[in-house]
Amino acid sequence: MSDNPMLSRSAARRERRLRLGPLSVLSHTAVLVWTVLVAVPILWTFLASVKSEDEIFGDAWSLPAKLRWDNFGRAWEQAHIGQYMLNSVIVVTFSVFGTMLIGSMAAYVLARYPFRGNRPVYFLFVSGLAFPVYLALTPLFFVVQNMGNVPLIGPLIGLNTHAGLVLVYIAYSLPFTIFFLSAFFRTLPTAVAEAAMVDGASHTRVFFQIMLPMARPGIVSITIFNVLGQWNQYQLPLVLLQDRDKWVLTQGIADISTAAGYDQDWSALFAALTLAILPMLVVYTVFQRQIQSGLTAGALK
Amino acid sequence: MLHRHRRTLFIISFLAAPVALYLIYVISPYLQAFYIATTNWRGVSATPEFIGLDNFRRMLGDDTFWKAVTHNAALLVLLPVVTIAIALFFAFLLNVGGAKGTAGIFGSKVYRVVFFFPHVLAYTVVAVLFQQVFRPDGSGMLNAPLMALGLGPIGFLSDPGVAFWSVLGVMVWQAVGFYVVLFSAGLASIPRDMFEAAQIDGAGRISLFFRITIPLLWDTVQVAWVYLGILALDVFAIVWVMTDQHGGPDYSTTVMAAEIYRNAFQYSLFGYASALGVVMFFFTVGFAILSLRLSRRERIEY
Amino acid sequence: MPDTPRLSRRELLRAASLVPVAGALAACATPAAKPAATGSAAPVATSAANPFGVGGKPLEVWIFDGGFGNAYATDIHQPLFKGKYPKVEIKHNFTKEITKVLQPRFANGSPPDVIDNSGANAMDFGALVQDGQMQDLTPLLDAPSWDDPATKVRDLLDPSVIEIGTYDGKFNVLGYVNYIFGIWYSQKVFRDNGWVVPKTWDEFIKLSEDIKKSGKMAPFTYAGKFPQYLYESLLTMAAKIGGNEVLVNIDNLEDGAWTTDAMKQSAERWAEVGAKFVMEGTSGLDHVQTQTAQNKYKVAMLPSGSWLENEQKDTTPADFEYGVFPIPDVTGSDKLPYGMVHAQPGETFFVPSKAANVPGGIEYLRAMLSKKAAGDFSELVRTVSVVKGAGDGRPLSPGAKSATEAVAAAGANVVYWRWERWYAQLKDEGIAATGELMTGRLAPDKYLERMQKKADDLKKDTAIKKYKR
Repeated sequence: MSDNPMLSRSAARRERRLRLGPLSVLSHTAVLVWTVLVAVPILWTFLASVKSEDEIFGDAWSLPAKLRWDNFGRAWEQAHIGQYMLNSVIVVTFSVFGTMLIGSMAAYVLARYPFRGNRPVYFLFVSGLAFPVYLALTPLFFVVQNMGNVPLIGPLIGLNTHAGLVLVYIAYSLPFTIFFLSAFFRTLPTAVAEAAMVDGASHTRVFFQIMLPMARPGIVSITIFNVLGQWNQYQLPLVLLQDRDKWVLTQGIADISTAAGYDQDWSALFAALTLAILPMLVVYTVFQRQIQSGLTAGALK
Repeated sequence: MLHRHRRTLFIISFLAAPVALYLIYVISPYLQAFYIATTNWRGVSATPEFIGLDNFRRMLGDDTFWKAVTHNAALLVLLPVVTIAIALFFAFLLNVGGAKGTAGIFGSKVYRVVFFFPHVLAYTVVAVLFQQVFRPDGSGMLNAPLMALGLGPIGFLSDPGVAFWSVLGVMVWQAVGFYVVLFSAGLASIPRDMFEAAQIDGAGRISLFFRITIPLLWDTVQVAWVYLGILALDVFAIVWVMTDQHGGPDYSTTVMAAEIYRNAFQYSLFGYASALGVVMFFFTVGFAILSLRLSRRERIEY
Repeated sequence: MPDTPRLSRRELLRAASLVPVAGALAACATPAAKPAATGSAAPVATSAANPFGVGGKPLEVWIFDGGFGNAYATDIHQPLFKGKYPKVEIKHNFTKEITKVLQPRFANGSPPDVIDNSGANAMDFGALVQDGQMQDLTPLLDAPSWDDPATKVRDLLDPSVIEIGTYDGKFNVLGYVNYIFGIWYSQKVFRDNGWVVPKTWDEFIKLSEDIKKSGKMAPFTYAGKFPQYLYESLLTMAAKIGGNEVLVNIDNLEDGAWTTDAMKQSAERWAEVGAKFVMEGTSGLDHVQTQTAQNKYKVAMLPSGSWLENEQKDTTPADFEYGVFPIPDVTGSDKLPYGMVHAQPGETFFVPSKAANVPGGIEYLRAMLSKKAAGDFSELVRTVSVVKGAGDGRPLSPGAKSATEAVAAAGANVVYWRWERWYAQLKDEGIAATGELMTGRLAPDKYLERMQKKADDLKKDTAIKKYKR
């Protein structure tokens, strides 16, 4: 019996488990410690958001005597967190859609259509990955302002317009998007597309009906990168959107943190932070499977 | 001929919009920035005066800027090393480090989700959050327990000897989860039998980690290195929003982007700030080219 | 990752060949020099009642939304202005980030009409003056006052307001609030504990030791994140010891101005306070956190200005009773007598020279300087305005009363300085170095050498315009 291969294998496993005992404890501890490090600051913020001013300035780990939901009311009403979040959603929705549409178009052409000038255009885009955005901030302001003077559509895309910001986001997301998507398109098999061309499908149709669906994993992952990147953007809206009612969420949060220094509404600050964090965590947790597989598909393929 | 014509038309129609947007919104501002770097523009006048390379000469004597450069350089080394080390370790534990040897430890799915949380938060949110976490008295999340133990308070942001490490810590805190996921995906693409075989040969977890996991993930590690390097060179919001005096105390946490912003928007020295930006541009491009060169290394096929 | 891109030199060069195309595009995107917007309509006739010729153009006002909020503008100033010019539409705006929001408007040649350029993120006045962006407000000084045609606006203001608002011989900036600086405390706490306001430095040290020993609270704190609150006291003390010329020399970037004996004595004394009497954690706390600690009776004294009481109105206990005392006698042979104070007009308003409605902007300032506007303002935000006698007969809060008395007691012995506004770089160095001094990482003489070096560098720097007083 003892030379039954199955059994000896499981015995070996059992033996190994014993050997690895202390290591197991250690690894579990390490993972738990990091979980605590990640979760506790966030949970602590949530806790502080229902504390009173006094409690926030008191012992950090005391529990609130009474849950002060009115902090959220102030963050929502006076600090306009709701408005800013809506603005962020609007801007990011349009800009990510636009980025993916024209980014994938450019990436596809640059990846699959050799022509004179293909490489220079490609490198022009890719070199943008290394540009520090701070260098461009001031001139960009004037560019956007001058766009406001374009006849007819000017007022829609000038300063203080969400459409103007959307165009800027798209332009600044192109290097990254084109770099990764063109790499992705290059790895896709060509047979299907060629067959379709032989059947008389146009280049445009081949792209939208065949190549784009095939590139889905890459598209999904770059979309997620762009959503995160544009949602987090702070510098560009800071310079390009000055009307308070046009602001996006990051501006609102930074403002409320400056404001806390003057108005001393620290509990509203924590409430606003919570309002900024919670939806992101919920959305992420719901879609985490897709996000994780999407993220890694793009970065690794 | 018609076929060729259609192809050309297609290429043009697909490239027109992206190229136009990119030239207008990205390339033209950068070119203007290079021009502004050679002027004494103070941001308010419509007629900047050309002063050649004076701004670059001025830079040589700007101790604060060079301090910022050394901080970026330190981050360029430390951020990737620390983040990648922690992330590799956890990716290994969560995927192949379990007691069975070839699967993740118990609860690894949940951990992977939680680890990723910081990455979905905006930098400004993280910066404001940690400003509160790091408060220097008993109302600070970290100092309250330290003081209860009689060790503290530590001036996480107010002690110039500590503040830089706090900045690094926050950046690592935010980055690790993403790289755990990235490396996990890399590990998932390594065939299971490689681990099985190694284990049957008697490899322990430590040697599994160093002899199999790391070599096979080398490509992914390089990707991570480039991302984190650019992050280290580009860092702004965390420093500007979180630290005292925007890069202080006493410039102990300042970085290139913060100095650009300070000179432009606080001292109204737009010409000089653009010159700093040009230098930062060359650092970043230099890093990118260098890392692409170095990363051309043999791939392990499996 | 698939084929990692390799930038070959040839490809880079080819990429560079595209640059001229983009250059052509860039050409149409550089800041355009726009013709000034003035003169579009026929100028409106001026009269004694309307000395600057306000027409029907809209008026855009930007208020710094800091310790005083911005309600004073909408509730007091704008109704008054609107009462006289019902046709003028007022566009009211406020922000805490003046520079970020308004700087681009200047670059673009379309600034608003009135700006309260204040707070930590205010625009650099030096850069604005250097570029001729500020309207000369001398006509405002010579215009009849809002209330009484026989009195000129100039006569309502203390001469220091005019001097401090003058750049290059032109009166450009109107400080609206008279900030009075000193050491702030709770009159109730001092009374209850039998502590007495110190008249000499030895008494100050003794008091600090007593407070420390009592175990009830820490003796002293300052806004650790913003050490400019502390160098304010340091410079005032240096002026007390060495006279006003200490400050004049610093303003004028004179050689060795920072390393004088008076500066040294003052720096040594404050470093001692930093080493012995400062509340734990101070260096990491901001102004509000330290001020709130004082309201919670955790610390006895802190240096600040007369906006303090209003800033803290929500956290101050009803019986707190703010009080302020001046820098005590230091050496026994101080050049300036006991009671001297540092007072400086703040909430600095100006009218951009390229504004669309310059007359409206100046008239708005004239309205602000009326008895009613200034009086209502000081009552609303519990402070002292620059308009003489505007607060007369109005109820004063304890802090405002104490500050008013301090400045009255000082008489002619009022000092101020201007280098902070002239040279932002020097200010930042002062902030950084003072933090180091107070936490003991920089010895007093090294501290002063460091400041002197920065001042010397600045003096040599041709890119930055220099001023004299």
